[in-house]
Amino acid sequence: MIYDICIIGSGAGGAPVAYELSRAGFRVLVLEKGKEYREEDFNKDELAVSRRELFTPDLKEEQHVIYELDADKERKRYLGSEYGWSFWNGSMVGGSSNLMSGYFHRMKPNDFKPLSRYGKIEGANVVDWPLSYEELEPYYEKVEHVVGVSGEVVQHSFLEPRKSAKFPYPKLAESAVTKWFDRACLSLGFESIPTPRAILSQADLGRESCSYSNFCGSYGCATGAKGSARAALLQKCDLTLITEAFVYKLESDATKVTKAHYYDADFKSHEVSAKIFVLAAQAIESSRLLLNSKNHFFPYGLANNEDQVGKNLLFSAGGVGEGRFGFERLSSKEQEELMQVGLFFNRSLQQWYEYKDGQEQRKGGTIDFLFEHQNLVPRIQRTFYDEDGNIMWGDALAQKIQKELTSSRVLGFEVFNDWLPTDECFVSIEESVKDKYGVPVGAIYLYSHPDDLAVGEFLAQKATQVLEKMGASEIRYSISSSPPPNLVAGGCRFGDDPKKSVLDKNCKAHALENLYVTDASFMPTGGSVPYTWTIYANAFRVAEMIRQKLELEKSLFSS
Amino acid sequence: MIVQTRREFLKHSFLGGAVLLFSGSQIYGAVEPLQTLRLVQKDLFPKAEELGVDSASYLLLVLDHSRISSQDKEFLRNGVQWLHEESLKLYKKLYYNLSTQQRQKVLHEIAKYRWGEFWIEDLLLYTMEALCSDSVYGVNKTDAAYRWLGFRAGKPHPKRAYL
Repeated sequence: MIYDICIIGSGAGGAPVAYELSRAGFRVLVLEKGKEYREEDFNKDELAVSRRELFTPDLKEEQHVIYELDADKERKRYLGSEYGWSFWNGSMVGGSSNLMSGYFHRMKPNDFKPLSRYGKIEGANVVDWPLSYEELEPYYEKVEHVVGVSGEVVQHSFLEPRKSAKFPYPKLAESAVTKWFDRACLSLGFESIPTPRAILSQADLGRESCSYSNFCGSYGCATGAKGSARAALLQKCDLTLITEAFVYKLESDATKVTKAHYYDADFKSHEVSAKIFVLAAQAIESSRLLLNSKNHFFPYGLANNEDQVGKNLLFSAGGVGEGRFGFERLSSKEQEELMQVGLFFNRSLQQWYEYKDGQEQRKGGTIDFLFEHQNLVPRIQRTFYDEDGNIMWGDALAQKIQKELTSSRVLGFEVFNDWLPTDECFVSIEESVKDKYGVPVGAIYLYSHPDDLAVGEFLAQKATQVLEKMGASEIRYSISSSPPPNLVAGGCRFGDDPKKSVLDKNCKAHALENLYVTDASFMPTGGSVPYTWTIYANAFRVAEMIRQKLELEKSLFSS
Repeated sequence: MIVQTRREFLKHSFLGGAVLLFSGSQIYGAVEPLQTLRLVQKDLFPKAEELGVDSASYLLLVLDHSRISSQDKEFLRNGVQWLHEESLKLYKKLYYNLSTQQRQKVLHEIAKYRWGEFWIEDLLLYTMEALCSDSVYGVNKTDAAYRWLGFRAGKPHPKRAYL
């Protein structure tokens, strides 16, 4: 059987294409490496999900090799399994969108033209996108309605243009501590924004409302309220889904991909044919598959005759910070408000999405605030050492644990700013290291441009001002060049020039007529927000192009 | 379930084999690691027993999991050997033959070494995992640890033990 479309990967990049094309009546096949879990399979078992990492591959079986550039410009090699360094997120139907927190921000219009707006940055491959915000805006809106985004639109310095005045779902119930935050921002002259979330605040779309279970990020959602690619899209599709199918090679002739080869759970090889292939296996793995798919026509890897596949890998730059609120400075009412669990702390700052650094206009970013994750083990673990750095145990430790967990709470923040694309950050193949299927693993070459840290530092200092004003103690932050493995993009950037990009404006490979890449690989720059909303929106946009193409072919064939 | 299968488990477990001890360059004898680890866990966090949490049984359970690396297991086992050797050096007795006060002294001594600090941290972490485990794992049956920490566990609870 020849499918109309074969999609490799079922996360936020693949599922919108599956959803749109299957609803349009085309024969859709989805190949997913992970297993299928549904709402009834999800629970809040910290030991399984967070401590033993139930939803990500065992590094002994599947890993990456990481090359980090040190201060002396020397590359240090790390074998992922040896150092416990994982770049996996969620290997399952729906991918890591099952485990996201769902902090949803749109990119801003200027994110689409960073070169024109902010100019060239030495050592960085900054380019304008071949797409404008205005072209993507209808798809951002589509995501709000189809995936489900809740929130409240408020005016602020960098509110992106919106066709609709409101989000389709009201904002989620909030902790009373957000009022402390809002007051602090007001007195500082900062613009507090309710953070939009890809979580339903009321039952709709055949899904239940959020149950305020107190465990969201890192966990699968048992009500279906979280807008995962599985709950929001795939579970509503009439298509063929093959799970535990690891695609290890795409076969092609000079102009078209002809087959996808995959291993099943028993390591038996299969092949499938389709008119169109869509690759959405997560940025690193999509590049890896193309580079591993060498053939006579593409001796350096599929769509890689211009040596662009894997290049300009991106993460989200920035870092994290926090402050602690202890009972000693709070009234009994405030203590009660602080310890109220389950309700969300949905607050963001985007006032410095652009800022002046001397005479220079700089690109800034987003700061999201959130309570410390409710997972118990890490909260206890951070009490193990006394103020002098000595490990504690016995009754003294027990007393410290109880005091910190029952009479204080940590409010954290995350900074998101651009990880500038450079020649030094890319994906390659490590031929000498094979995964459990016997396929060479991806090699990740890491480098963070110095500007990434400078911008992150600027934003973190703004965030700490709010915590100080709120009365927090133990305020600290860490801005680093460590790449967050859940915020990865690039590697197959789109663009108008086939010599400098892998994909065209519609995310079709320049070199192949029927290969599209719809995960975050297409992004030439990352913007200064988490990527998921943009991945969803772009995949809906590409799906429409593919649908039009298939419908045209169908009408030509029938006439 | 844990108790019924423990004997069978120990036959195959890395904790089942004896650990050889050296005093100076001479072989001193051999000890069973589990007995030592059970006692150290009690010495490090007596609150667990007070809360009815069976952290030693949890240790057996979790160390059988594929995600715990062989290096991590080997480190725990080596730590048993080094702990007793420190005990022999200080008191010329095995750790479990010391008084409570002497055992604390040995723990403070090993905490000065990097291996000792990490070994204590590992054992504390596994104890805390036991403390935080869902009742489905059978070691935190009454949720007393949750009540002690005023913790509201997330729902739904797991229907079966994953470990």
